[in-house]
This record gives sequence, structure tokens and C-alpha cells, in this order.
Amino acid sequence: MSTKLLMGNEAFAWAALKAGVNVVAGYPGTPSSELVETVARLHAQGTARGVHVEWSTNEKAALEVAAAASYCGARALFTCKQVGLNVASDALMSLNYVGVNGGLVLFVADDPGPISSQTEQDTRRFAAFAKVPVLDPSTPEEGFAMMQQAFELSERYHAPVIVRPTTRICHASTFFELPEFTEARPIPEEGFQKDPKWVIFPKRAFEGHGEVNRRLARIAWDYAFDPEFSQFNHRFENAKPLVGIVAGGVSTQYAREALTLLAQWAAEAGMVLPPYRFLAVGTPYPFPAETAAAFAEGLCDAVVFEELDSVLEEELLRLAGQRHLPLRVSGKLTGEAPDRGENSTEVLAQRLARFFDRTTGDQNFSALVEQRLASSATEPYDGPLPVRPPVLCAGCPHRGSFFAIKQALGKTPAVFCGDIGCYTLGNAKPLDAVDTCLCMGAGITTAQGFSVAQPGSKAVAFVGDSTFFASGMTGVANAVYNGHNITVAVLDNSTTAMTGSQPHPGTGVTLMGEKRKPLVIEEVLQALGVQCITFANPHNLEESVAAAQEAIQFDGPSAIIFRAPCIQLKRPDAPVVISQDTCTGCKKCITSIGCPAIGFSAAAEGPRSGKRGQAFVDASLCDGCGLCVQVCPFGAIEGAVAQPYGGARSTADSPGSNTGPLAPISLDGETPAETEEDIDD
Amino acid sequence: MINVLLAGVGGQGTVLAAKVLAKAAEAKGWQVRTAETIGMAQRGGSVTSHVRMGSCGEEVLAPLVTKGTADVVIAFEPGEAARALPFLAEGGVLVSATSAIQPVTAALASAPYSGDAVTGALGRALAGSSVLFVPVDDGALVKATGNRKALNMMLLAVAVAQNRIPISLDELKAAVGACVKPQFVAMNQAAIDEAANRYSA
Repeated sequence: MSTKLLMGNEAFAWAALKAGVNVVAGYPGTPSSELVETVARLHAQGTARGVHVEWSTNEKAALEVAAAASYCGARALFTCKQVGLNVASDALMSLNYVGVNGGLVLFVADDPGPISSQTEQDTRRFAAFAKVPVLDPSTPEEGFAMMQQAFELSERYHAPVIVRPTTRICHASTFFELPEFTEARPIPEEGFQKDPKWVIFPKRAFEGHGEVNRRLARIAWDYAFDPEFSQFNHRFENAKPLVGIVAGGVSTQYAREALTLLAQWAAEAGMVLPPYRFLAVGTPYPFPAETAAAFAEGLCDAVVFEELDSVLEEELLRLAGQRHLPLRVSGKLTGEAPDRGENSTEVLAQRLARFFDRTTGDQNFSALVEQRLASSATEPYDGPLPVRPPVLCAGCPHRGSFFAIKQALGKTPAVFCGDIGCYTLGNAKPLDAVDTCLCMGAGITTAQGFSVAQPGSKAVAFVGDSTFFASGMTGVANAVYNGHNITVAVLDNSTTAMTGSQPHPGTGVTLMGEKRKPLVIEEVLQALGVQCITFANPHNLEESVAAAQEAIQFDGPSAIIFRAPCIQLKRPDAPVVISQDTCTGCKKCITSIGCPAIGFSAAAEGPRSGKRGQAFVDASLCDGCGLCVQVCPFGAIEGAVAQPYGGARSTADSPGSNTGPLAPISLDGETPAETEEDIDD
Repeated sequence: MINVLLAGVGGQGTVLAAKVLAKAAEAKGWQVRTAETIGMAQRGGSVTSHVRMGSCGEEVLAPLVTKGTADVVIAFEPGEAARALPFLAEGGVLVSATSAIQPVTAALASAPYSGDAVTGALGRALAGSSVLFVPVDDGALVKATGNRKALNMMLLAVAVAQNRIPISLDELKAAVGACVKPQFVAMNQAAIDEAANRYSA
């Protein structure tokens, strides 16, 4: 055994491995990604023995891989972020009816705030909709225990089980005792037992629905009374309370911390906190009604603190109604808890003070909390501070891609349909090249809607390489089939960049350490029937604009592949230099491409800039991509300009490709040169 | 309980600094929780790392530092120092690098953002308060050690040298040994000595 500082997601990985998990499959997404990465790293080190781990092409594929492994008796783990479960939901809904054999756990990370997501959906609510039991940890340690128990629960009831942490559990770290290695549980020799129950027909669905309903009642009982699970629901109280506090997830920790602070502040002010009863719910669905009933005994008021939806609050209300309890329940629905976003110790201290003031009368805790929170050691800083929205990195190839498309369009009216990935950041000024962003893969298909309803505007879709494989391909098929006049810009940086450089089908690298023949985006596009495919190195502006023009002018679905590796995958090139003798201070470099490595010094003076100020380069940030060199109208920026990509060619030569030698791709007469002739026609 | 907040701009290395501090605290037998900003904000946004240590044997509950309770704020950039002010406790320590990182929004604005102006304003604002303000000339430190990559360890060393966190420089250096690759240990430990010598309390 050794002690290591583990991030929550690493701890979840270790817990699953300790539980003997055989198959781990997921799709990256913040805040969930580190789980699969940890399993892959431990597997590569020889620490996690006998496990299969993969990044699947998307969440639906991952869940289906995990499901069949479970049918064979393997323990299987599926991972995604909250919106990933939307993609996998088709599989999940019927899988819950069909049931599982080996333990199947869905690790679904929610993102209150949201900090890195497009929705604040609540997976506890999704679990209730799908009728799948869920466990909701309040700390990484509790999550570590829950993950192992989730496999037990899944096997006890042949049901998939969801473990739902939130960002502050996934990305919080603490120390864990760990074994030297883990061994996957042997898969039973009898393997998959053929049986009609695995085939989801209407009749089977009716039976399955009954099994689901019966087991939910039993699981609610286990949550309340079986120590294996009731350990995740804590209750404590002082004196003889009339009021109660219920919390779930990380809010349990915020609430406990806030109560500690309140007690300390009250003591210092000669006040006394009223007695209260506290219930932490780690098993929100199916709701452990008996646990809640014991909590509610003798109380007249309870406040509920949870992030995202009012799941616990509604369950408590239902319980009060069902059992005619004289209990008033407050929380999100009554405005006594924040209706969205993250909770915090500060916010819960304020809300708890208000609750005590309302329910127990004669003391003013709200005033005390306001006074204590306001009397921080210093006045807040009231000067102007720069806002720091996330931006494309210095040297990011997407910057050149967006700029070239806008240059190529000139004054042509256009709608830019963005997608999910680093390139969503193309929305920021000055690029301003994302008009819509909906969900994974939607750029390509929303562009088609624009092309139909607003044919006067050119619809351009942006999609990354990983997103293309995850959910872009069917959209391209739709464009070809229905003849939509769109241009798809594939921003191929050879990785899944936003979530931390995960490999994907286009890289050929797998988490099991093998290299496969990579899927080639242009071959896929061509196979799907796209007639015009152009290529460019996005760091080469002239080539990029020309390639973009060709694709944009094509009548029908066309594609341009911008290909250059993410800066995280390469060594920086020599930084550019701005000549103080030549810079006129026109700011064209800044207002065109908005690179974080270029700043502006109002104090700098030069022969051509006078007192206007000058641009300067932060050499520690500059990646040497050379885009600014091509943008400066006065030749004031010195640096190397990238070579053109040079049209269709062997993927083995692709700058970003991680592949070995491959047969050159055959475009079978559909070379870009010939499609150019098509345009001339 | 000791609460430390590290504030910076995505990519500056607050995560490793938090990890080293956590390791040093764990070696003393304290319960530790840390929390990181991971995700979109890592692309040049404001990021914070929280380190909470049960230095008197207390249970650490929440992963995040509560406003008004940070014993030490280590800012990797002056604007981020200003943003983190509400976290400081009475008698806390604010260590801040003085070099500004210009966001694109500032370069696009007509009035660029001045790090020196912020550092100056912080100095004036904190002069009459209970907070100890330690501005760190990070440019000079990087020049002296020849390594910008070790700036996170140097800022951490300056913070520890103010004697507000009950961890010694030797304990900090031992933690570095456990957290970074063997070939970088000596370089980081030398950087810690250099920074601590220049800014010892």
C-alpha cells in the first residue's frame, strides 16, 4: 500500500479497478475525462492488470460496448459528462429494461455553474426519468466507496447504476491509500447466456418495466436500511431540534462548513445557534423515503441544499404529502436556495442564517453573517481589471482557419455554425466567427437548416476532428443526401484538444497502446459523397484563403480540411519579432487575429508609430506560427511562414498525423483540381 | 486550519504548486483537500487552486476556500491578486508576481491594462490593513534562476518564507522531491532557495 494525492476522477478510477472492472469505455468531456485517462495510464504502467480501456467514438458507442461486456459477466464502467448521457440515452433507456449481468456502472459527471458545459442538467433527474438508481458523492473519499458499492448494487439487481459526481468532486484532490496493483475480476467461463430477455421487444419491454419498478422499491429499502448503502446517508442532530437541513452532493460539505462558521461567529457575538437536525443524502434515487421519514420525525421546517435541480426537495415534499407530515419544506422551489449555479460555503451560510431567522425567531443571524462576510481583511479592489474569457492559445491553428474563412467570404453574407470543442472559442472578438453553437455535431446539421431557410447566406460549419468522428459523419451524409449547399470546415488538429489531448479514430492511437490504421477524414468525406474537398495548412494564409474560396464557391456540400497539429502536440517554433523601426502602431495584428502573444504598449515609440504606441510580442507565449507575419500590412513582423499543405496527399505525410506509413489515399478522379474545373463549368 | 488560494492565468502552473503544498502538508500528518480549475478556463482564463490543510488536526470539509478565510493568497499575476482580495483573512499574506499578463481583451481595448498600476494600487490599499503584501519581482527571479518554469515554486517559496504557513522550506523542498520528475528536483529546489533568500520575512 502507498499513499497518493489523487484527484477525484483518479480516485474513481482506482475504485473501479479495485472492484475488478474488466472493461472501461467512455468519451472525453469536462469534468469526467481523467477517469479513463487514469485507467489507461495505470494499464500502461502494468499497475491495472487485465482491464480493457478505450475512448469510444462517442458516448452511445461506449455504453453499448460496456453493456455487452456486462452481458458476458464482465464488470464494465462507462464514463461521460452530463450532456454525454444525452447521446447515450437511447441505449440507456432500453438497457435498464433488458438488465445487465456483470456490474455495469455509469460514471456521469455533472457540471454546476456550468463551468465547462452547455447545460446545467441534473443527472439525478435523468436517472429518475430512466428509472436507474444513482449514487451522489459529497467527497472524493465517499465517491471512492460508492464506486465499489455501485458494482455490488448493479449485480444484486442486474441493473445499471449511475455514480454522479459534480465538478468539485471530480477535480478536488485528497490522499488515498492505494494497493500496489489491481487485477480485473475473472470473467465467468459460461460467458454470455443466450436468452430472449436480451432482445428488447414490446412484450419484453412490458416485463422489463415491471422488473424495473419492483427493484426500485427494493433499492429504496436497501438505501435506507442496508448498511452497505445506508452508510451514504448520514444524520446528526443537537439538542431537541424543530428544524432540519437536508443536503446532497458537495452541498453537504458546504452546509456543514457553513454551520461550523455560523456556530463560531454566533459564539463570538454571544449568540447561540438553534438546535437542528442534519441529513446528508448520498443515495438520491430511488429516494430512501424511510431515512427521510426518520429525519422528519418531530420537525416542522426543513430546508434543502442541492445543486442543479430540486430533486431532494421534491422527494421530501412528496413524502410530507404522502404521510401527512406537518413539515414545511423549503429550498429552490420556495426561493430559499439558489435556483441554479454552484453553491458555496458563503452562500449557504447566508441561506442558513435566513432559515434560522425565519424558523426560530428572536435572533438576527442574517445580520451577523452579512457583517462577517463584509468585514473581510481588505476592501475589494475597485479599479478596472481585465476580463479573461477563455481564448484560443497563441499559435492555435484554429485562429488561421477562422480568419481565412472570413477573408475568403469577404462581404458575402454568411452564417458560421460552430460546434463543441476548443474552436467554440472562435466566437471571441476579433475573430467573431461562431454565430451558433448547440451541441456536439450540430454545426454541420444546423448549417443545412440555414441553407434551406436562408439560402441567400452561405452556411459554413466548423467541426473538429474528434467531433467529426463522434457525431459529424451522419450530418455530412444528410447534407449529401438532401443536397444542402453548405461548406464544412474540418479543423483537424490531430487530437481532442479541449478536454486534454485525447486520441480518437483519426489518430489511430488507442488507450491499449496499439496503433491502428487511422480513419482519414477526407476518405470518409469522399465515401459519404462530398464532391469538393480542399486542403490547407491554416498557418499559411494565402493557401488557406484560396482553399476556403474554392470550397465556398462550390455549389453543393463541400469541405475544407484545415490540417495542423494542436500546439500541445508540438515544440514551439522560434517566436516572431516585431520591428520597432517598422511597426506603425496600426494594431492590425491585434484587431485581425487577436493572438494572446501580441500585446500593445501605449508607451512604445518608433520612427513610424510616433506616439501611437506599438504592438509587442510576448516571446514566452508566442508559438511561432507566423500567422501575424502574414497579417501585418507593413511587414513589421519578422518570423517564418508555414509551408502550404499542398492539396490532397498521403496521410503519412500529414503534419499532424501520428501514423506510420500508409497507402496514399485515392480520390479516384475526384481530386481538388478536377472539382475546380467543376466550378468553372 | 490553513487555507491557501493560488490565483493565476490558465497555463501558469498553479496546479503543481498546489500539489507540492498538499504533499508537504500530508507529510506532516494533516488532512488536506485541494481543488482545481480544469476545463475551458485553462485556455487563458482566470484560474484558482485551493489548498486546505487541517494543521491542528481538524477535519477539512469543503474543497474550496471560503471568502475572508485565506491565510495566504499566492497570485501569479497582479490582476489576479486584485481579483482574489476578498478571500484574504485578517492578518493574511498576499504574495503577488508583478508581471502582468495581457489578455486579448485588454490589447483590443483603447486603454491597455497596466500590471504596475494594479500592484501600486494594491500596495496603497493594503498599507493600512492587517494584510502583509509581498510583491514579487518575478522577472528578476526568473533572470536570477534562468527558469520561468520554476516561477510557481518560487512564489510558493516566498509564501512559505513569510512564516504564516507552519511548513518549513526544507519540508517544502522535500515535497518537491516527491512531486516532480527526478531530473527537475534540484533545479526547483535551487529556485526555492533563491526566492526564499530574497523574500524571507
